[in-house]
Amino acid sequence: MRNRTGTTVLAFLLAAACGLAAACKPKPPKTTAETKSVTTETKGAETAVKPPSTAPPGEVGTEPLSGDVAAINRAGYLKDAFFEYDKSDLRDDARGALSADAEWLKRYRSVQFLIEGHCDERGTSEYNLSLGDRRANAAKEYLVSLGVDASRVKTVSYGKERPFCTQSTEDCWQQNRRAHFLVTAK
Amino acid sequence: MRETRPRRSALVPSPRKGDGVMAFFIGACLLFALTTLAGAQAPAPTPTPGQGQEMVLKITKEAGRKLPLAIPPLSAPGVAAMQSKVVEPFTATLRSDLEYTGLFVIADPAHYPTGSRDPSTTEVADRWRGTGAEILVDTRADVSGDRVAVEARIWDLKAHQLILGRRYSGGVSYVERIAHTLANDLVKEITGKNGLFLSQILFVSDRDGAKDIYAMDFDGRNVHRLTSHHSLAMNPDGRGGKVVFTSYVSRFPQIWMMNADGGGAREIKTGLELNASPALSPDGTQIAFAGSAKGNPDIYVISTAGSNLRRLTTTHALEASPDWSPTGRQILYTSDQSGTPQIWVMDAEGTGARRVTYAGNWNDEGAWSPDGSKIAFACRNEGDFNICVMDFAGGNTVQLTSEGANGHPGWSPNGEKIVYQSRRGGSTQVYTMDADGQNKRLLTEGGNNMQPIWLQ
Repeated sequence: MRNRTGTTVLAFLLAAACGLAAACKPKPPKTTAETKSVTTETKGAETAVKPPSTAPPGEVGTEPLSGDVAAINRAGYLKDAFFEYDKSDLRDDARGALSADAEWLKRYRSVQFLIEGHCDERGTSEYNLSLGDRRANAAKEYLVSLGVDASRVKTVSYGKERPFCTQSTEDCWQQNRRAHFLVTAK
Repeated sequence: MRETRPRRSALVPSPRKGDGVMAFFIGACLLFALTTLAGAQAPAPTPTPGQGQEMVLKITKEAGRKLPLAIPPLSAPGVAAMQSKVVEPFTATLRSDLEYTGLFVIADPAHYPTGSRDPSTTEVADRWRGTGAEILVDTRADVSGDRVAVEARIWDLKAHQLILGRRYSGGVSYVERIAHTLANDLVKEITGKNGLFLSQILFVSDRDGAKDIYAMDFDGRNVHRLTSHHSLAMNPDGRGGKVVFTSYVSRFPQIWMMNADGGGAREIKTGLELNASPALSPDGTQIAFAGSAKGNPDIYVISTAGSNLRRLTTTHALEASPDWSPTGRQILYTSDQSGTPQIWVMDAEGTGARRVTYAGNWNDEGAWSPDGSKIAFACRNEGDFNICVMDFAGGNTVQLTSEGANGHPGWSPNGEKIVYQSRRGGSTQVYTMDADGQNKRLLTEGGNNMQPIWLQ
């Protein structure tokens, strides 16, 4: 039962995210296992999903989340927000991902999380630390505007110090320009 | 709250083991005072520094010509066993230092005459002048146990005059430091400027995995690690024996301060996020840094005691990378408020902000020259970043690099050299060059080495 709920939620998130313009353009560099589990569940998403927002918030808010923090992070429930070069304002696809994140976070209200701001390799190290700070906070502010309690989230900028991939290609740069989510307590 | 444990190099003075070098320093200082006040130290004709200095200065100023020196090996009578421990390292260090300045050329040692090194007579002086040299650097060592005393006499071969006579002493293992000190004194005597031969460069390296702070001599030798945070330690800045940097050791970036040997590390809490690019004020009491509250990175200042936090910029734009003017009255920083990252300047109270750079679409990481007349910065129009230098008073920007992706320039304490990072062929390494872009030298190897700063 619990598993099915999880699957349904995940499927909905994917459907919601992909339904928005250009939402699936950037491919976050996740593990192969995660990518697989996401694709297999996509079919179910297209058929019968009830938006969690129709459920009474009080009830879903107390819903327990299975697995430990590491497993939750591996499952990748929270989708990262991606940015344009040298920008920290939110694109449509980023808003789509964050809206879905907000719904999930409102469902699991005990979850504490960290948003990391990341940048691509272009630009100086020092400037990118400031840029990453803006990106992490842009994502945080949007979540808060959607009703997520600000006290649940911390932000940190890694600038270009912790890249997700290291090729000097636009594809790779896009993957590195992001606000990345990490659940720290469930 | 991790205390960093430095791995000392044999040549870095340590409070416990460095009595030899301390004595040598004191000796050198005393002798300096003596030569300055009394005009004579070595058992040799009384030098007249003013006279000798003036004449040699005239020589070196002639059309950028290099002054030829004869540097015979350190003479150490009766201690053949000391050849590899004293004579060779001393002579090699002295020659290498003086060549590094670009001011001197060393006459071929194969042509040096045997016999007397006292050119107060025309006959001996002419024999040495036959090598092409105009200056003779005569050094003699007196080794006793594990201590060495070096007596140096610098002769002007044309005038048969002693320019400099000085005596140094210390532990045998510090013989390279003695050579560096003599080279500094010689450069000071001849050019009037301070030599760099005892200066240190700090940098960040991932050679052991996570990025930590390292130190090395001005020429890349004696690399040693200063922090062991095994997290992400970066952007060091240092002067007056103190170093500040940013560390992620407690997950979030915080400002740390430590002694230049890596000891006494402590965190300076600001209550802000980001806490990047800390820069020590010239008087060592304040730290300027890029801090952030609610995703708005600005330039802040806090005292090294961790009190009196002030926000200097109040834009909604992105600010980064502060650097103090040599007087401490102004702060250089990067802001994107004009639409692209450019270098700005404001006074140290945060007022009077104005834009400094206009050419190119990205100018960043500004560093003020020690005399305040120039700024070096990472500059980009299209393609890779380079190092540019501009006259602070206005205009006249010169691009000094053209190979690789370059950044993070820092000035040597005497303003003659610039240290910077360059990414070429897959790794980032530390280089130095003259302030006009000549004599580029690779200093590091192994892993990535970056964000260098010359300890002021």
